[in-house]
Amino acid sequence: MADHAHSHDDLEHDEHHAPPGSGKYWAVFIALVVLTIISFAVGNSSALRENAPQVMWAAMMAVSSAKAMLVILFFMHLKWEANWKYVLTVPASIMSVFLLLMLIPDIGLRTRHYADDRWLYAAEPAPAHAAEEHGGEHQHSPKEDGEKKHAS
Amino acid sequence: MSATAPTAHDDHGHGHLKLVYQPSLPINNGKLFLWLFLSTEIMFFAGLIGTYIVLRFGVPSGSWPAPHDVHLVEAIGALNTGVLLFSSVTIVMALEAAKNNQTGMAKGWFLATFLLGSVFLGVKAYEYNSKFQHGIYPARPRSLLHEKADIYYLQAARLRLEGLQKHYADAIAAKKLPIPGGGAAAVTIAAGAETAAAEGAPATPEAAPPTITPYLNIDDVTEGKDDPNVQHYIVATNLLNHLVKFAEQVAATDPDPLARRAAMELVATAVYPLHHGPGGHEHFVNALKSEATRLANEKDSLAQQDQALQADKQEKLKQIEEQEKAETKDEAALTQWKEEVAKVDADLAASGLRADAIDGRIQVHGDLAAAQHGLNEAHHWLRLPMKIPSGNMWASTYFLMTGFHAIHVLVGLIAFAVVLPKRLDSTRANLIENIGLYWHFVDLVWIFLFPLLYLF
Repeated sequence: MADHAHSHDDLEHDEHHAPPGSGKYWAVFIALVVLTIISFAVGNSSALRENAPQVMWAAMMAVSSAKAMLVILFFMHLKWEANWKYVLTVPASIMSVFLLLMLIPDIGLRTRHYADDRWLYAAEPAPAHAAEEHGGEHQHSPKEDGEKKHAS
Repeated sequence: MSATAPTAHDDHGHGHLKLVYQPSLPINNGKLFLWLFLSTEIMFFAGLIGTYIVLRFGVPSGSWPAPHDVHLVEAIGALNTGVLLFSSVTIVMALEAAKNNQTGMAKGWFLATFLLGSVFLGVKAYEYNSKFQHGIYPARPRSLLHEKADIYYLQAARLRLEGLQKHYADAIAAKKLPIPGGGAAAVTIAAGAETAAAEGAPATPEAAPPTITPYLNIDDVTEGKDDPNVQHYIVATNLLNHLVKFAEQVAATDPDPLARRAAMELVATAVYPLHHGPGGHEHFVNALKSEATRLANEKDSLAQQDQALQADKQEKLKQIEEQEKAETKDEAALTQWKEEVAKVDADLAASGLRADAIDGRIQVHGDLAAAQHGLNEAHHWLRLPMKIPSGNMWASTYFLMTGFHAIHVLVGLIAFAVVLPKRLDSTRANLIENIGLYWHFVDLVWIFLFPLLYLF
């Protein structure tokens, strides 16, 4: 019953408070441009990039999420839609997050599980944290390997 | 709306619910379809973006190319973001106007949206072209990207230079001009060395062919000095003989693995320096200087060695002469002396080759130091393979994501073009709203792609 009453209210709401006039759209546009400038400034800040790249990435993603919400709520009118909007958007969003969680351990963290041999043929030398995990063995092996080849 | 809306329920006093049948969601079918479609699109792009994030952060730290390494210009990306955001406003303005039956206004805003979408695609095409110009493609065989500077990198560089050399030699011959340096003398040193390196064993000295083309100087050219074919031929030949083949020789024969690696890295840095800062080039020039000093020392010791060999040879020739004069010829001894002279001659020839190689190498240093932003920038026609670690992964993800986004933009433009000739009044408001929803979603995707691709 509560649900029923609720959706009824929503419909009433929908009809009486239709999306606002064009002034609001321009305000949203200006907000979006300002947010774009913010993420541009954050992304080009070499101080942030060198000292705390994680903060930089998180800030840019937060700004992007804010922009996305502005577009969805105002331009796509979801702010004024009835509860059906949750049926269509929430499952898709859950699937998206689920996909990310599936990908990260296997692929995103793959270099954490590289064997020493694999590092030898990697494009770049092993990062410091990998050296700690493997006791730094692989740092000596390229040279030994090369000398063996030469001796043969 | 009233057709699908539930009628007011009446349960006053009866104590039980009277449920009202609601046949569908309270929106029209077109909008429902579009939202269902968009929810699949959310998952589609979430898959692409999620995969990108995972690949981007999964590479060994520090090896993902910086925007400037792959000719990405952040400002152009930001401009395109602005264009798309603005087009989102114009499409809602078109919808508002259509709802109020202001058909002229609606058409104007709609046309503006169409034009802004076209501008976005045009800028995108410009950006793609600047990648293609620099040999950055999503896949082989056009892509010039290499993960690391190894013997396969050197091989690719050599094949490219040999191809260029042949191309320009043919062009010069077609103009009936003499080929600088004789042309035919251009023999491959590394044919034997390369197979040896592939097997991991140092090449034997016998593998080296007998001649090295000396460094060609444009000032020595008598005919066709201003012909671009001649100029290009000289550049390609010098780089082939004294940059790439020299490095291949080191990579195949040097016992020190660090020296082998350094020689290959030097080629990669000369072709395409990854860190364009002013310090980066200085560092490179210093590396060249220290190599020049080392080579000059080697040449000095070669000259001393040559003197000793020459003295040795004279000694042995005298012995032979005496043997020939002697009445009872000791044939065995004579053959032995002759063999030893031949051995000394071979040593002299080898050290002469090495001295030629060093001369050419030191002269080519000038060309390398002059190309401040790399040989590929200095000579656009060269298109030598470039070492960009994780560059192929970057190119794959960049072209895939921006490509799928561009296809979506294109579909939006087609929809605009189909609707534009119609009368945009309130009866078409639903249509405009649905196209608008799709267009906003395209904008939404770009909102995430822009920082992820240009700024991360």
